[in-house]
Amino acid sequence: MTRRARITLPSLVLLLTLAFVWSLSVGAVKIPASVIINTLFDLDGDQQRFIINRSRLPRSLLAVLTGGAMALSGVIVQALLRNALASPKIIGINSGAALAVLLGTSLAPDLALAWLPLVALLGGTLAAGTIYGLSALRPMSPERLILVGIAVGLVCDAGVDFIMVTASTFEISAPLVWLTGSLWARGWQHLSAVWPFLSLLSALCLCLFFRLDLMRLGTSQATALGVNVRLERFVLLAIATLLASISVSVVGVIGFVGLMAPHIARQLVGGRHGVLLPTAMLIGALLVVLADATGRVLVPPLEISAGILTALFGAPFFVFILLTSRMETRE
Amino acid sequence: MSHSVTAHGAGKLPRGLAVGLALAVLFSGALFSLATGGRSDVGLTDLWAPEGIAATVIYDTRAPRMFAATLLGLNLSLSGLILQAATRNPLASPAILGLNQGAALGLSLGLVLPLFSGVPLQVMALVGAFGAGVVTFAISGGFTGRMDSLRLVLGGVAVGAFSYAMVRFAFTLEDELARSVVRWTVGDITDIRWPAVRRLALWGLPGLFAALALSQRLNLMALGQASAQGLGADSRITLLLGTLIAAALTGVSVSVAGPIAFVGLVVPHLAKLLFGGDHRILVPVSALLGAALMLYADGVSKVLTAPVEAPVGVVVALIGAPWFLWQTVFARDLS
Repeated sequence: MTRRARITLPSLVLLLTLAFVWSLSVGAVKIPASVIINTLFDLDGDQQRFIINRSRLPRSLLAVLTGGAMALSGVIVQALLRNALASPKIIGINSGAALAVLLGTSLAPDLALAWLPLVALLGGTLAAGTIYGLSALRPMSPERLILVGIAVGLVCDAGVDFIMVTASTFEISAPLVWLTGSLWARGWQHLSAVWPFLSLLSALCLCLFFRLDLMRLGTSQATALGVNVRLERFVLLAIATLLASISVSVVGVIGFVGLMAPHIARQLVGGRHGVLLPTAMLIGALLVVLADATGRVLVPPLEISAGILTALFGAPFFVFILLTSRMETRE
Repeated sequence: MSHSVTAHGAGKLPRGLAVGLALAVLFSGALFSLATGGRSDVGLTDLWAPEGIAATVIYDTRAPRMFAATLLGLNLSLSGLILQAATRNPLASPAILGLNQGAALGLSLGLVLPLFSGVPLQVMALVGAFGAGVVTFAISGGFTGRMDSLRLVLGGVAVGAFSYAMVRFAFTLEDELARSVVRWTVGDITDIRWPAVRRLALWGLPGLFAALALSQRLNLMALGQASAQGLGADSRITLLLGTLIAAALTGVSVSVAGPIAFVGLVVPHLAKLLFGGDHRILVPVSALLGAALMLYADGVSKVLTAPVEAPVGVVVALIGAPWFLWQTVFARDLS
């Protein structure tokens, strides 16, 4: 572990903790930090304790989990495509998962919450498979993969729009909030539906860092070093798809986190995945926690969806990468 | 002026026949749009001598809607045609390059911010669309030299995502507007009446003539930047003029019906497929085919999920998005 990583990782943990406490304290009802600490460690409480335990704590935990998952997914996708512009959203996995969840909830309104991650998974996997298969019809290039990904995303979005507008107004208000990427009204039941999957997958992903290092060398070098590239690529892409689609199933499409977090992490600690993965995970968690909390602070008692805020920051960030990464994308 | 025709491959049909065919398609589309609707008892047979309730339905509801669909199709397909020629990129269209979303942003800023309350909404939409277009082209290197295909699309996606986030942000603040936002963001012409049609015509018809005036420059763009420059048409000026016209056409369309995607992408391709690459014929033919496509989409939108109407934008997107996918998979200049 380099010196930079030794400084960066603990400071990120500290930052995340601070953001987490801030996120618990802000919203339509402001709660001072001292009360939060009391509540978390079970010292005393009343109405505020109710708010924290029932609403903000599961929400912030979800933000940490999904933010980390999206960031990890982004690191994998960028390493596999060897392209700085790739992310689960850009290549259409998010839209596929969103379409599947929306289809699932509109066809079977009584669907248990626990099934949603699986449904999302199915959609995300289908989208990823379609993108990969269609790009392979012609000589594969990262450019084509990204463009096909955007197109598949648009097809899924068209499907989402169709379901949304044909459903009655009463039914769409909840999915609408969910689609813009929001942690509004997410509670313990949502957390319990996804945390086993997400933490398991995140841990698995962190253990696979050396494989990602090998994949970044490129197909021929990796093969020369004895890596079964096709298998590795498939396994890694599967993990990335799982992480992204399960996140989408609970918090909707919070865009650009999977794009921004890996980049910031790479600037901070460099490209070795052993430290890059945990750093990116922490940054992703930080971004989503901050976006969620900021959304509650801006115009209380209204809430701005976290997805709106990440897009407002993420899109210019994306343009910045687009303008500065000419060398990296042209391999 | 035969040189430009041969340069693009000869037109596949004689010009008169081409326009005639497009007109016939347009006319049948108009009949389809007029004959369908919420009241299934008012149909094709009532069109010739409408009486009583049928007359009201046709004159006050369906006719303005039919004209709106026609003009929207004209505006959007011309906008797409101009953008495709000016950027020399088959994937360009108002929605892909972020112009639609930029117009939506301008519009919602005009609705929400008191600062802009005096400015007509169409102007706000135009400014938004133009701004989005300029930013996208700047990102992709369009004003400096070689325009990069991937950058153009990615830049457009980024500009579009940013504009949409802003639009949603604005609508979150205004509860009144939030209610209609879902239908509006996919493009809806259900509630259009005559004043909106007049606005569309006021911008769309001058836009058509401007596009005709620009068509020779667009032909020169296809020869490549250097050749165009040599023949006296600076490609940057063509790009700028084209963006301005496309922004005006997109802006007024979005201000009336919301951002309808993919008409601007599909129709120019269809026109080129049928009638070759000469923009002096492509401009009128794209306008006609775009209008026809929108009319059919309007008719289908009334029939597809009856008795509930699907917004016409959704119908177009269900056709157009797979088309875009096809383009990205098989376009030649990407690999």
